[in-house]
Amino acid sequence: MKTKFSGILTLLLAFVVQLTFAQSKTVSGTVSDQSGMPLPGVNILVKNTSNGTQTDFDGKYSITANAGDVLVFTYVGLKTVEQTIGSSNTINVSMEEDASVLEEVVVVGYSSFKKSELTGSTVKLGNEKLTDVTVAPSVDQALQGKVAGLTVSSNSGTPGSTSQIRIRGISSITAGNEPLYVIDGVPMSNGNINTSGATSFFSNLAAFDSNNVESITVLKDASATAQYGARGSNGVILITTKSGKAGKTTFSFSSNYGFQNDAVDGPEPLTAAHRLELASEAYFNDGFFASKADAETFLLGGGAFAAWDAAGRPEGNWKEVIKNKDAIVENYSLSATGGNENSSFYTQLGYTSQEGTVIGSSFERINGAINFSTKLTDNIKLTSNNQGAYTYQDAFLERSAYFEGARSAPFFLSPLNQPYNDDGTFNEFGGSLPNPLYITKYNINDQTLARIVSDNQLNWDLGNGLSFASKFNVNYQVYNSRTYSNRNYGYGAATSGDAGQYTRNTVDYTFQNSLNYSFDLGENHSFDAMVLQEYSSNRRYFLGGYGENFADDGLFNLSSTGNPISIASNYTDFYLGAYLGTLHYSGFDGKYVLDLNYRYEGNSRFHPDERWGSFWSVGGAWNLHKENFIADVSWINSLKFRASYGVTGNANIGLNQYQSLFSYGVDYNGQGAQVVNTFGNNKLTWEKSNTLDLGIDFGIIDGAISGSFSYFNRESTDLLLNVPLSQTTGFTSQVQNIGALTNKGIEIELNANLVRSEDFNLSIGGNIGTVQNEVTKLPLDPNGIERTITTTTSRIETGHPVRGWYMPTWAGVNPTTGLEEYYINGVDGATTTDFNQADAVWQGDNAVPTLTAGLNLHVDYKGFFLDANGYYAGGHKIYEGWHRYTNQTNAYPIFAFQGLQSLLDRWQQPGDIARNGKFTSSFTPWQRHSKYLYDGEFMRLRTLTVGYDFKDKLESIGLTSARVYLRGNNLLTWVKDDNLKYDPEVDLGGQTGLETPPIKSISFGLTLNF
Amino acid sequence: MNNKVFKLTTIIALSMFLFNGCATDDLEPTLAQDKPVEGSITSVGNLFSILKGAHSQMTSGGYYGQAMIITNEVRSDNCFSNGYSGRYSTQAEYAYNENTGYVWDNAYQVIANANIIINQSLDGLSGDLAYGSHIQGQATGLRALAHFDLLRSFGQQHTGGSLGVPIITQFKDESNLFPARNTVDEVKAAIYADLEAAFTMMDVAYDSKIYFSKYAAKALESRVAVYFGDWPRARDAAMEVLGSGMYTIAPAGSFVSNWGSKQAGNSIFELQNSASDNAGIGGLAYIYRWPTFPATGYGDIQVVDNVYALFEATDVRRDILGYQLEATGATPSLRNMGKYPDTVSYTDNIPLMRIEEVILNYAEALFEINNADPAALTQLNSITSNRGASAHASVTKQIILDERRKELMFEGFRFDDLVRTGESIDVLGSIQNVIQTLTYPNNLFAYPIPKAETDANSNMVQNAGY
Repeated sequence: MKTKFSGILTLLLAFVVQLTFAQSKTVSGTVSDQSGMPLPGVNILVKNTSNGTQTDFDGKYSITANAGDVLVFTYVGLKTVEQTIGSSNTINVSMEEDASVLEEVVVVGYSSFKKSELTGSTVKLGNEKLTDVTVAPSVDQALQGKVAGLTVSSNSGTPGSTSQIRIRGISSITAGNEPLYVIDGVPMSNGNINTSGATSFFSNLAAFDSNNVESITVLKDASATAQYGARGSNGVILITTKSGKAGKTTFSFSSNYGFQNDAVDGPEPLTAAHRLELASEAYFNDGFFASKADAETFLLGGGAFAAWDAAGRPEGNWKEVIKNKDAIVENYSLSATGGNENSSFYTQLGYTSQEGTVIGSSFERINGAINFSTKLTDNIKLTSNNQGAYTYQDAFLERSAYFEGARSAPFFLSPLNQPYNDDGTFNEFGGSLPNPLYITKYNINDQTLARIVSDNQLNWDLGNGLSFASKFNVNYQVYNSRTYSNRNYGYGAATSGDAGQYTRNTVDYTFQNSLNYSFDLGENHSFDAMVLQEYSSNRRYFLGGYGENFADDGLFNLSSTGNPISIASNYTDFYLGAYLGTLHYSGFDGKYVLDLNYRYEGNSRFHPDERWGSFWSVGGAWNLHKENFIADVSWINSLKFRASYGVTGNANIGLNQYQSLFSYGVDYNGQGAQVVNTFGNNKLTWEKSNTLDLGIDFGIIDGAISGSFSYFNRESTDLLLNVPLSQTTGFTSQVQNIGALTNKGIEIELNANLVRSEDFNLSIGGNIGTVQNEVTKLPLDPNGIERTITTTTSRIETGHPVRGWYMPTWAGVNPTTGLEEYYINGVDGATTTDFNQADAVWQGDNAVPTLTAGLNLHVDYKGFFLDANGYYAGGHKIYEGWHRYTNQTNAYPIFAFQGLQSLLDRWQQPGDIARNGKFTSSFTPWQRHSKYLYDGEFMRLRTLTVGYDFKDKLESIGLTSARVYLRGNNLLTWVKDDNLKYDPEVDLGGQTGLETPPIKSISFGLTLNF
Repeated sequence: MNNKVFKLTTIIALSMFLFNGCATDDLEPTLAQDKPVEGSITSVGNLFSILKGAHSQMTSGGYYGQAMIITNEVRSDNCFSNGYSGRYSTQAEYAYNENTGYVWDNAYQVIANANIIINQSLDGLSGDLAYGSHIQGQATGLRALAHFDLLRSFGQQHTGGSLGVPIITQFKDESNLFPARNTVDEVKAAIYADLEAAFTMMDVAYDSKIYFSKYAAKALESRVAVYFGDWPRARDAAMEVLGSGMYTIAPAGSFVSNWGSKQAGNSIFELQNSASDNAGIGGLAYIYRWPTFPATGYGDIQVVDNVYALFEATDVRRDILGYQLEATGATPSLRNMGKYPDTVSYTDNIPLMRIEEVILNYAEALFEINNADPAALTQLNSITSNRGASAHASVTKQIILDERRKELMFEGFRFDDLVRTGESIDVLGSIQNVIQTLTYPNNLFAYPIPKAETDANSNMVQNAGY
């Protein structure tokens, strides 16, 4: 007892002594690498405490600690150094390269490997590459131009909209072509979540703040994507969020504030004076009047023209009044990270607000993240990454030519109508298109999303190379949308106003359990093996209602409607289950690498007998620079040959397509009813892709030049195809596993550090990707005739790219008659004015670029820096939508709607050479032909940033580092085809539309670390 | 590997595959809103549900909700399209092509659902089997109606050809997924056969005006027979309807107001709309007139100015017409204000058959069979006497057709009446200007088979001129 007591007393005393007498002192020094160069950013931690610091730009540090404490110096790629504090107040440290962790580690699927041991085509982008696009809150937009073979096209420039991403072309005709998104190891669907097909696209990916993204890895070939089996065919985008960094808590604040406008101003609409001129001409051309003057007199004698004339011929400039000029975009992020040996955390709070470039459109996001990991015991580690966001979008009708949509107004609303009355109030004129200013102010179209992703993982290190991991992920989304049409003016007036409200809850659970075993056989052979089991359930609950007739203004909710018109609710679900086995072999210190993957996956989209499928891949790499005969070549730093082959799948079709189904979504006489709505096909199964990938990665001249070269050939078979049916069946199509197509191409990535020095650095990089797409097999009908799928502008047929442009060929305007003519055989020779007699022919290309390229430049000089990023797309064509109404010399642009000034170039009298035929007052039907098909080639200066990096100059005021910059996005655009007046960056449908075009912005930014 | 680790591994591996392992059953999707076609029809009530679904499909804007009626009015001398919202100007100017799209898909969807009902064996179903048989009769009648709508839209009877449309009598018939066109005569025969069968199968005890009914079969038969000039059949079928005594001519006082009410005495079969179930702004009311002043909405279908003078001042049918002002100072436009009048909640029912048409069919058949038959005049004047119009003193074909035009105006009959009597048609532009005159026969009198059909089915022959 006494002994014990004295023991405690001694401890207590020691504690007191330590408190009172411990020599707390400041230790400082310089940390350098093997060559003696100072190392900035080295983490220094007093062992077993959270007391830490970092070296500055000169490799210097200072820290307060006690004698006897141990300082731990850590730096990625270098061996950790531990130094015990002795009597000296100076500790200089030289850190050596750690061959085992020197290399960047890249997450590939469910595993992570050193970059030199990757056997597939993989591109990793760090955070700095993902946050340079101010104009889009969603991180996918930042990928444009940065990954060879990846194309990004936004559905709309409205903030919060979705983008379409294609990796190595189109692998499927009917099933989806979107890549799989994997966030912190969990596959989850991202895309448009708007329940309406009319209002703005709304992306759930925009709920992620790119400030929280540590890196994105794009997996392009089967070697890695086979781990994702049935969903890997279109490539995989792995998003890794930031995790905590041990050491003293550091804070980072960044902000960005800017102004935005449409990147391309777009076509000029006709003026009212033009309309009078053209309308008179049309009546004269049609023979209704003896002269244009007579026709003009008639037009001014009554109707809209008379009223306009009487008012002094004012011009309603709709293109200008619907603009929200210099729309403001701002975003702020404050984060903190820290921790000790056992636990670390990263937490962040972010706010983004972005106005659209059109009136009545905006986006807002508030988001937070708490990521932490802690060692529960010596060998069990818990990691939990949690992100939550609330996003709001003020949406509008933009996805077609909606008469109430502000974006429709410049091209559809007559300039004879004035936006404002003389007293400044909104002009409430009649017509099929109401005043968009009034509509925008008094109607509501908005949507909100609350999204929480919680990812929780337990890692258990069992020793002897064995480890076990168990993961549980919840992805919970609550979506709400609301519409309201006012009861006084516009389309809501007839019903005294209307309102709709819709909500959809999406709950996805994913479980993963895996067992990893790393072992060596002898000195030269190391293996990583894993078995993994995954199960995911995805459930959606939808509820919505719509009503009409409000008693008064200022009421927006369904309860206030006098006439509840409709209610709807539904539930859908789908499930996935999978078993995965992987084996990674690295021989002779990574000289030879072999990857084997096998996945057995089941999907609820198929009939029980067809539900499970097998997917696999083999990949190999040979690091030549580790061979003796290359190791001696001093200018070669790395040289790797790699090859992979594998089978992946695609099941991205609608739910429950395999069964013939009755739908109960109809009613009659107030009673429920049913109609058959799915034709069904019990034999439905996976679409499969066989991908071959060959590549060389290299780094030469001390890493000054590095790059890679890849070739791929992806053959998709058993296509899940909406095979057209004879409509006499009551259906238009049936999903079948028929058909095949191939995509092949090459990709080159190159980076050159032209100048590397302390004060001046210059580097340039670029990438090029090509893709050739060809349909190789389609179903035949009983007469042995291929069942092509033809629209008015495109066709799917073997020997051609998917949805290649296919339409009659315009032969120009006959100078004698003034009529537009078409080639009868579609190619040359005899022409006709009868559109129905003109054969449709292949016009070359489809809507997907076959050549894309990105170029980036970095210069810095004594703290000043410049970054530029450009994007090029070519080898595709795009079609002008809506030309029947806006860009044809018929009655629509001059009487019913509104036209473009390109119409002024029209035939007026015999002998005229003009792009457009003579005006007529008839309403011509849709006639789509090659006149409106344009070369899609364009180049765009995506990002231009100039700034100054204070580095440690502001340490005196407590800032460890600081940066200020001025950034422009999409400042310059070059378009090849002069007739293409709309923005060339359209969605992959390839038709210009009335959505918000891409946006250009100028913004000022600031980053502070303290 | 030491023993402890091995044990641990085994336990973990086992637990992971046993407790979380997933099998085919774990991947079964929920059918929360749908049911499989195979096996879900177990009662007569299920058949009734499908029948309601088929009726609902006919109310859509692509069928009787708008397109079927407007396309036929706008191609006639009653109406033209002013291009206000760009709707129906293609049809008015006969400028359609194989991409324009028309009732083809809608009608075959109705036929698909009708066939499911018709081919379902009643054996083993629960419920009133006699009623089940009546429902099968109703479905047979709908199938005839849909085939007739297809035939009059796409058949070559007025283009100088002989091709009709495919006759479909079975759902998902694997042996007939790529049908060729039957001839006009074959389709006509199939329609007559269906209507005769339907009449036999139905029982008036189950009748309702908002569903296809026993005498709707006969009314339709008289219409089809008039269309093809099968006069004795037209007469006999019409006589059956009149003889039933179930329907009465709308009196002058309620002719206009009937259009705002449901299931009036003169109605034989009408499609039901309600405030919560209608074609909305894609329906009839919204295209015939502007709902507000100043004008907002569509209102593309304007009435030809000279139509007003067709009516005597005392004729209540003139009250269907009205002038509507687009904006202050604009020229008023003549419009159909009375038929399908509800531009607020679109609740108007859509009458497909009413007794007045049957009387006119009857009068025309009597006249065609025997020009001197005094009953024709009697029948014709039973209409005028209920409209505040002067009685006719004698009957000619023209008088019958004019009376039909006045009585059935805006209901989608006029185009068929013009072409079946071989008339030339003036094509009107957006300001009532005559663009061209189409002489009979004419390729444009048959719609082109949709391109989606000819692409999917190489047995399908396109109409001449497209």
